[in-house]
Amino acid sequence: MKKYIQVLKATLQEYFIYRLNFVMWRVRSVIQLLLLYFLWLVIFQKNQVVFGYDKSQILTYVLGVWALRALVLSTRTAEVGGEISRGDLSLYLLRPISYVKYWFSRDLADKIFNIGFFIVEAVILVFLLKPPLVFQTNLLLIFCTLFSIFIGIFLLFNISFLLGLSTFWAPEGEWGGPRFLFNIILDFFSGGLFPLDILPLLLFRFLQILPFPYLLFFPLNIYLGRLNTLQIFQGYLIMTFWLIVSTWLIKIVWQKGLRVYSAVGR
Amino acid sequence: MLKSLKKYLKVWYLMTTASFSSFLISRFAAVVLLSGKLLRFLFFLFFLYLLVGKTKVLGGYTLNQVVFFFLTFNLVDILVQLFLRGIYRFRSLVVSGDLDLILVRPINTLFRSLVCWTDLLDFITIVPLIIYLIIFLANGQVAFSPIGILLYLLLILNAFVLALAIHIIVAGVGVITYEVDNAIWLYRDISSMGRIPIDVYMEPVRSLLTFVLPVSVLMTFPAKALMGLLSWQWMIFSFLISGIFLWVSLRFWKYALTRYSSASS
Repeated sequence: MKKYIQVLKATLQEYFIYRLNFVMWRVRSVIQLLLLYFLWLVIFQKNQVVFGYDKSQILTYVLGVWALRALVLSTRTAEVGGEISRGDLSLYLLRPISYVKYWFSRDLADKIFNIGFFIVEAVILVFLLKPPLVFQTNLLLIFCTLFSIFIGIFLLFNISFLLGLSTFWAPEGEWGGPRFLFNIILDFFSGGLFPLDILPLLLFRFLQILPFPYLLFFPLNIYLGRLNTLQIFQGYLIMTFWLIVSTWLIKIVWQKGLRVYSAVGR
Repeated sequence: MLKSLKKYLKVWYLMTTASFSSFLISRFAAVVLLSGKLLRFLFFLFFLYLLVGKTKVLGGYTLNQVVFFFLTFNLVDILVQLFLRGIYRFRSLVVSGDLDLILVRPINTLFRSLVCWTDLLDFITIVPLIIYLIIFLANGQVAFSPIGILLYLLLILNAFVLALAIHIIVAGVGVITYEVDNAIWLYRDISSMGRIPIDVYMEPVRSLLTFVLPVSVLMTFPAKALMGLLSWQWMIFSFLISGIFLWVSLRFWKYALTRYSSASS
């Protein structure tokens, strides 16, 4: 455990070295938020309720998406593919550490840093924009939201890590494309652009089978009090299913991947 | 003049051929990247249809007008990506000192650094986009006049000049600070706010996007001109601001070169 805490600390120190990179990344994140924020704001200039959401609910959703991007979707596992394709994985195989736990520690550091910045940015933006927000007072719903975020962090890590492991079978230098595609699908299907329940019912039902909506849309809808107990329980079941499947897949893919790994580039 | 133009065209052609060849080496990656670009476009278009289809108007614009703004945003964005892709490789030129090899050649350094790496994927995506735009307009989805088309094309060209100026400034910053990637991604994120008409944003964001980093001139004004919604004062402002940006960028580039340390060469 101690060594992974050291990895976490070292990753945090990395951010302090490349401060400008991180600040710029956060600035970009705020810009992405502003696009959606103003888009929804203008929609509610002439409408009280749109797609079953009122103004405060939708603006809370937009700000919530922004928060969960920092907490759930932020990940360093995008670098896994590069390490495998360059042969840098060999350096880790020789060390007495778990490659999965190593990357999870780095992910945690990334989340800590992102959330730290997010809190400061959120205070400033809420002060400047003064959006009407939903403040949930039901402690049970807050707990359920936090629990879904907790599982979501592991789920995102598993899916993203698995994508990185696919590089074992992809020729050198071709891992960037799938990652780009994955990020676009992830953003849309997790509800990063809009709440997924505004989609046609059939499409929405289909998306609910996939793991993506449980990363952003599901926790935020619990927070907003839009889901009943059965729907929350159902969501947890699907999340747990995907978590077990993805963990199992990581084991299988890792073992099979190591057999084809030839340390190209080393 | 003609001889010089021919030389530059030949250099661009040779470099573009090399760039296309490099894309074709990784066909799988190219197909996946292309799918990603296409999906990103379709997802946002779908979102606009869903949202504005329900509310009927967005900031006073009809659904078709909003879609046209989005299509114009994509046209400008892809044009800039297509011809100024070299900026993404510029940092490595500076950090490695390889910029020396370009500086000593009898060719404009900015041209060689910024323009000579045409992205095949953008080339592939811009063709169907233009066809879609033409069909969209031919079907009468938005009202326009022949003079509107002329102004649209002129303002698209003007937007490209403005984008070029911004890329030159970023390159200059790169020479001085060795930092390019964040600056260019920041530009891309800010310009992505032009996916919807800038009029939608409230003050002071709207003014910032018009006067400080003129995303309006880049993305919104061409579409407004075609639909006859742009006054002549704003048109003059557009050309003026692009001219000022270009002048400032070239001055800044010259200054940046005096600070070039030729590190690692």
